[in-house]
Amino acid sequence: MEKNRQGAKASYVALAVFIAAWVMLPSAFRRFNREAFAEFQAPALQLLSKSRDLARYWELRSRSDEELISASRDLSRINAALELKLQSTDDIRRENARLREMLRYPSSSEYLTVVARVISRDTSSWWQRIIIRKGRNDGIRPGAPVVFGNHVIGRVSIVHQNVSEVDLITSPSFRCTAFLDGDVPPRIVHVGGMAGNSLSAPRAKITVIPNDYSPPAGEVTKVVTTGLGGVFPAGLIIGTIEGDVLPTPEARLKEATMVPSKVLDRIDEVSVLIPKYPTPGEILMSPTEFLKLEEFK
Amino acid sequence: MSVPSAPLNSWRVLVLAGIFLTGFVYVVLGLMYRQIFQSSDLVRDAENQSQRVVIRPPARGIIYDRNGQPLVENRVRWRVKADLMALQPEIRKEYLKLLSQSKQESYFDKPDYDKLQENARVNVLNRWLSKIWFVVDDNYQTNKARTNKVYPLRDNPERQVNMDSLRKHLRESRALKFILISDLAFPGSPASRTTEEGDRAIARFIEQFPSGGPITLESDMVRSYPNGSLAAHILGYVRDTDELPPNTEGSDDLSLASLQRLKYTGKKGAAGIEETMDPVLRGRSGWELWNKTSSGYNKELIRSSPAAQGTPVTLSLDINIQKAAEESLSNIRDSVGRPLPGAAVMMNVNTGEILAMASQPSFNPNRLADRVTNKYYDEVDANGGWLNRATQGLYAPGSTFKVITAIAGMRNHKVDWDDVLDCGPFYRVGNRNFPEHEPVGFGPVDVEKMLAISCNVWNYRVGLSVGPELLALEARRFGLDRPLLKNLNFTTNRPFTTEIPYPATRMVVPDPDYKSRIGGGAWNQGDTANTSIGQGFLLTTPLHMACFAASLSRGETRTTPTLFPYTGEKVVHEGTQPIGLNRQQLEAIRSGMYRCVEEGTAKSVKIPGLPYMAKTGTAEYFKTGVKAHLAWIIGYAPADRPVVAFAVLVEGQLDTSTWGGKTAGPVAQEMLKAWADIR
Repeated sequence: MEKNRQGAKASYVALAVFIAAWVMLPSAFRRFNREAFAEFQAPALQLLSKSRDLARYWELRSRSDEELISASRDLSRINAALELKLQSTDDIRRENARLREMLRYPSSSEYLTVVARVISRDTSSWWQRIIIRKGRNDGIRPGAPVVFGNHVIGRVSIVHQNVSEVDLITSPSFRCTAFLDGDVPPRIVHVGGMAGNSLSAPRAKITVIPNDYSPPAGEVTKVVTTGLGGVFPAGLIIGTIEGDVLPTPEARLKEATMVPSKVLDRIDEVSVLIPKYPTPGEILMSPTEFLKLEEFK
Repeated sequence: MSVPSAPLNSWRVLVLAGIFLTGFVYVVLGLMYRQIFQSSDLVRDAENQSQRVVIRPPARGIIYDRNGQPLVENRVRWRVKADLMALQPEIRKEYLKLLSQSKQESYFDKPDYDKLQENARVNVLNRWLSKIWFVVDDNYQTNKARTNKVYPLRDNPERQVNMDSLRKHLRESRALKFILISDLAFPGSPASRTTEEGDRAIARFIEQFPSGGPITLESDMVRSYPNGSLAAHILGYVRDTDELPPNTEGSDDLSLASLQRLKYTGKKGAAGIEETMDPVLRGRSGWELWNKTSSGYNKELIRSSPAAQGTPVTLSLDINIQKAAEESLSNIRDSVGRPLPGAAVMMNVNTGEILAMASQPSFNPNRLADRVTNKYYDEVDANGGWLNRATQGLYAPGSTFKVITAIAGMRNHKVDWDDVLDCGPFYRVGNRNFPEHEPVGFGPVDVEKMLAISCNVWNYRVGLSVGPELLALEARRFGLDRPLLKNLNFTTNRPFTTEIPYPATRMVVPDPDYKSRIGGGAWNQGDTANTSIGQGFLLTTPLHMACFAASLSRGETRTTPTLFPYTGEKVVHEGTQPIGLNRQQLEAIRSGMYRCVEEGTAKSVKIPGLPYMAKTGTAEYFKTGVKAHLAWIIGYAPADRPVVAFAVLVEGQLDTSTWGGKTAGPVAQEMLKAWADIR
């Protein structure tokens, strides 16, 4: 009995010593440890993700010929419709490029697109962070916007060798500027994720809405990117306004809750938009790049 | 041994019992008094101790021009702030570095530790400012610019930390965050020059600048004048106030005044329409009744009444005509390129609505929306920018007054519309020759020609024959010495509040009584001659002369100007009466003013397709003891069916060549063109 008690005491002491040692360790060591753990964990996550893909593949292989013929027919129709759309999009793109050149406005095609599979959601914060199957080796850089179609998913926060972590738009660390439907001329509002527990529905908060703004009656109010911040291209859908746009207590500004796009529920694949040249903000976050600039030496 | 007990009916027992009973009754009655009679007071006191009222200022109302264009609005202001507490380790490190450098430079001299500390703070904050500009500035947004390495702070001293602000902050509000950039998106600030650039600066900061550090972006609402200094003298500006507008909604059963109050700072009008229409624009404050914790924090919201934005105000101004007036005024410059002081007014002749009222130099109310810095106040003051020259500037009307001399002459039968006077190169008054502005004289001149060419001798002769009293009477009939602008029926701090505060009240229409009153001695004929050409003691404002032109166009004597749009009610021009001329006489005056534009002193500012009437004037005045000229033009348009009247004044400087038609004429011309474009 006495021996058991002594053993328990010893383990508590060991735990306390370990915690104290961990707290006192240099932050570089802890960062290295975290990085090493992420790299160690990455192959397992990748294997899991690939296994899921393989299972999906064999599931599809088991479909009947009729099902495949029907799916193929549907795809042909969709393909024809998309071809038509593509043609008109080409015209619009050319016109857009011409106008941008006239205005000397930076081209949005200054992004490289990297498509990445979602391999995991960070279980410590279910809706706040996802892990994608592309990393430093694929040219992913921190701060790069992550989209699915024309919907914003979030921003790359940490990049590892082969995987990257993405802060979703509902993450408290996410922030961007947006325009609201029905605001003419459009004025900048602030979108930021809301802190919440992993069981609650994900939401973001829209603040700094001008007092005289009213959402269009009877319509879903879309929240879209401004394209002014140099990170997100303009016009991407961030989400929609949920409920009323209410005045702040001072009645000088308004605020609202934003629901992210439905695509966030079933996201398997995303596109990472990597700026061809690093933005000033990116340089600022990268000490080695930043210190190359003479004015900050 | 037993102790004998005292008998129960002993008097001592009875006294004691009585004392106890009295005490008991006193306590019971006291409790009853507290519970029954003082209950409501005590409950209120308890609530007062546990509750707090938070009063929040409302957003002020918007001010529009007559076409619904916003002249004053509320906008979001984005401020970049630095948490000096969080920066302390960085400042300490910088301080040690500076200390070490100082010791290396001179080992034996004792360093100035306070100065080193201040320099350390400034260096750290400037470094952060460099990073902010690096992120938000357009110059850094292309790869090429980034590789070229631009040095923002060194090139732009305005972007560096303001030492005075930092010292004041450390002295007065050390616990709060320090404002690094007071208005990131304000057009014209060091951060940005246009609204688009401002928007980009905000977006870049939010999306690119690292969050969670010592630098934060915060927003609030601020009064905004989207057109900068446009119509600044009319619109005015706002200042901080603790006197928030009342709100009694839902508080009938509450004694809000007796509760502890937490009030936010609001804004109140400090000048112009912002001041006079403050009761309308200020709106209604919001209040919240909170239960508070014992530590003083708000715990639970019991009830509230929201703030209500102030009512919008629409002015009679037309932004396009106002812009034309101000832009053309700003084009008139002295020999070193500074804009000459001046004023311009345009109004509707029938309704008295003021369509444009410009005064130069001016100020930018955006720079006063937060607080008036001594530097900016002194800068505007040194330029004379606080004075609204249109309503407060007192000037001799010069030859524009000749119209009144002509009317006085005809109404008093000293001259008629077709009388021709011989006008030589000068006119002898007493022992002095009063000159003509044309060295050889004009020869035979009638009323019409006099107005076209602005003949002086004709006016000397007519003025002297009319006499100073009747000449003054005629000028007073047109209200040249009467305060203008309507009185508003608001209860304000001042008993008398006109549409724009502080209009001129010291106009002068001189006569012999006036001269003796001011101790100027006896009136002489030279004084009459001077008055007849609009000089001497005469003083009036550009607004008065615009009203005179409007009255003349209708064949009446008075026009009541207003800054508010016509509402369809019957227009009453206070004190007006028919001009008192017959048809030929009035026609002669109008023809003379028409010829002034077509072939006379204003022919250089003729507008093809828009015939109009005008009279120019060039008055002498003394600026710091040396003679200079005032340039005037008044008139109305169109010639056949008048709609608008105008008056323009420009203060010439000692070294400028300033003439009515040449200097003031182009301003009137631009205003008329702008009006013609929108009519």
